[in-house]
Amino acid sequence: MALPEGAQETMTAAPVLRRRTVADREDLLGRILLTPALLYVLLLVGVPFVLAILLSFSRATSGSLAFSWAGLQNFAAVISDPQFRRALQNTVLFTVVSQVLVVVLATSAALVVDALLVGKRVVRFLILLPWAAPVSLAAMAWTWIFDSTFSVVNWTLKVAGLLKGWFYWFGDPTLAMIAIITVHVWRMFPFATVIVLAGRTAIPQDVSEQAMIDGAGFWRKLFQVELPLLLPIVAVAVLFGMVFTSTDLSIVWLLTRGGPYNSTHVLASLAFQRGILGADLGQGAAIALFLLPVLVIVAVAMLRLARRVEVGV
Amino acid sequence: MDSGKRATSVDSKGQAPGEANQKISRREFLKRAAVTTATLSMPYFFVRNYALAQQRTLRIITWSHFVPAFDTWFDPFAEKWGESRGVKVTVDHISFADIVPRANAEVAAQSGHDLFFFLSPPSAFEPQVLDLTDINQEAEKRYGPMVPLVRKSVYNPNTKKYFGFSDNWVPDPGDYLKSVWTAVGYPNGPQTWDDLLKAGREIKKRFPEIQIPIGIGFSQDIDSNMATRAILWSFGASIQDKEENVILNSEETIRAVEFGVRLFREVMNPAVLSWNAASNNQALNARQTSYILNSISAYRTAQDNRLPVADDIFFVPALKGPKAQWASEHVMGVWVIWKFARSPDLAKEFLLYLVDNYRLAVIASKLYNFPSFMGSVASKSVPVAEKPAEGRKWIRAAVTKDPFKSNPVDKLKVLADAEQWSTNIGYPGPANPAEGEIFDTFVIPDMFAKAATGRLTPKEAVEEGHRRCKEIFNKWRQRGLVGGGRDRP
Repeated sequence: MALPEGAQETMTAAPVLRRRTVADREDLLGRILLTPALLYVLLLVGVPFVLAILLSFSRATSGSLAFSWAGLQNFAAVISDPQFRRALQNTVLFTVVSQVLVVVLATSAALVVDALLVGKRVVRFLILLPWAAPVSLAAMAWTWIFDSTFSVVNWTLKVAGLLKGWFYWFGDPTLAMIAIITVHVWRMFPFATVIVLAGRTAIPQDVSEQAMIDGAGFWRKLFQVELPLLLPIVAVAVLFGMVFTSTDLSIVWLLTRGGPYNSTHVLASLAFQRGILGADLGQGAAIALFLLPVLVIVAVAMLRLARRVEVGV
Repeated sequence: MDSGKRATSVDSKGQAPGEANQKISRREFLKRAAVTTATLSMPYFFVRNYALAQQRTLRIITWSHFVPAFDTWFDPFAEKWGESRGVKVTVDHISFADIVPRANAEVAAQSGHDLFFFLSPPSAFEPQVLDLTDINQEAEKRYGPMVPLVRKSVYNPNTKKYFGFSDNWVPDPGDYLKSVWTAVGYPNGPQTWDDLLKAGREIKKRFPEIQIPIGIGFSQDIDSNMATRAILWSFGASIQDKEENVILNSEETIRAVEFGVRLFREVMNPAVLSWNAASNNQALNARQTSYILNSISAYRTAQDNRLPVADDIFFVPALKGPKAQWASEHVMGVWVIWKFARSPDLAKEFLLYLVDNYRLAVIASKLYNFPSFMGSVASKSVPVAEKPAEGRKWIRAAVTKDPFKSNPVDKLKVLADAEQWSTNIGYPGPANPAEGEIFDTFVIPDMFAKAATGRLTPKEAVEEGHRRCKEIFNKWRQRGLVGGGRDRP
């Protein structure tokens, strides 16, 4: 189609008149705009990470800037420490149990929300509230709920005649771990629910309809059609959750501070207690870094799994 | 694509007519963003630096006091001092639990406040703080010697350095419910550790509504650290000796831990394994326990909130054990000045001014803070040699006639002799980084709790605690900050 005369002139003249600047060079502009984000990651994640590695091989203390090489001494010391071994066990338990619960609850919640005919938005909003609440405020409420003396759970059960003895939630290592996992699952599952909800919207409607026409019931459709299709996105959610959970300090610290008798520490809280409060930065860094190789392997495995499922290999 | 339409809608700037006013081109967006960022950041670089250059500043960081009235007094007090000297004073408050992490951050950044307040001896930070021998000597010159337990908390005999300056320490008496203890035959409360067992059993029988008859924490909090040390010392045990050798593994310690086990099993419950710093206060004020080891803050909170329990809370001195009668100081207020502080001279000047006005501070804290230099609360007209004795008299008079509406008015009188039964973290040796790490990683409450719950026998718990203490001491000895070295096997 022929262009009007004036317009053709305008289009050919414009590039000649305008000076080519950075704003016109997409490749360069892209790099420049990405630079702040890269610098942010490099300075606030990369540098501390390298520093932590260096500290773990040193005798550094928090009250001094002196740095003397300790070799593998810190790692040897923490490996032989029963408190560390307990914290490692707790970290694995905390991560695995809470992730299993989060995936089950998030999938269930997503199915329920999707099935709702009215009030979907309100329910979504309510589900997201725990995620949006500041962890310190939430922990204060949960501390009261699980307080060994004033626990609202205990008093309610007692008044209802359902409790004969007393649950010393934070005074017993097993009950304390149950409380910690409960609060963490409460905090994490809204985010996972949103991810699963988003994943479900990506499942082609015709696949679901075809399964129904073929006579698949609810469970068969769920386990043989929807969950396999959701696997890539759930894998990413689980990966994120595992890394977040196994490195999380806040819940344990705010609820039990690692007690009773240092029995509910996870690696992050023990590293904080030893490195920051106890002033032994070297050992603190060694404890904090211990899970790194495991997490890298988990991350690579999960991403590979997600990719394999995605491309249907 | 209809290129004809597109061609007619593009002008010489590459924009569609009519869109020019609504949409911004990428070029324009970048330009505006750069200009806005530059404009907004100007004041930070120029105005702030100009302001800093114009006025001398003193930046103070301290805790949010357990008696909030103290902060209401302290902040304007510091600011007025600044105004009188043309100094801009800022006072930041943080929770007591954030003090050590914050100090770590300031040291790592080599930047922060000029004056930093700790609640326990910050021995581990010694390499990063100024030697405050000068102002400690100056304060002693003005007011006489500091309280002995204070000296042990701010002076490192190995490096011969005053790493801190203390304006206050806080006694740690026993707080009990008089009505309950009277009912079981102890109208004046417990006098010995054994009384806790004997009376506790009675309280358990006669007051089933009290969940925890005796409230001694075996938890990971500061009060439990103090309480378990008091048991150790009263049974003749300690972590270190005077020369900083680790001597925890002893018959005395085992007996102290065995006593702790009986206390836990007979008159306490697992709630005490989970307590935080506020839990014993809350339990006492809710009448869920009849005895706690604490400062007067629980009582002041009850008064402030007009709780009826306030009139029923009374105090006893440190309990007598088989070998001694000791309680740990509840708080050891220690100020440090970082080597990287911008205004070290102003900081020193302010600390001396604070001590010069310590009577006001004691009153502002509602008798919670006790002066580290007893002479600082004596009348200004008294000669220096007589100031410590006069100061002690003033303290005695204040606690015997509490100006803050105690009923009866002499309720706090046991605090008058608190200096005699209070001692420092590290007793009988000095405060040092090893004792600090043992304190902050809860080695001693952990030892008691493991034995109390049967996870370890008392002997095993003591051996484990001793091993951990030795490891920590050896680590700090390698850094030259702790003496000794002839530890018990």
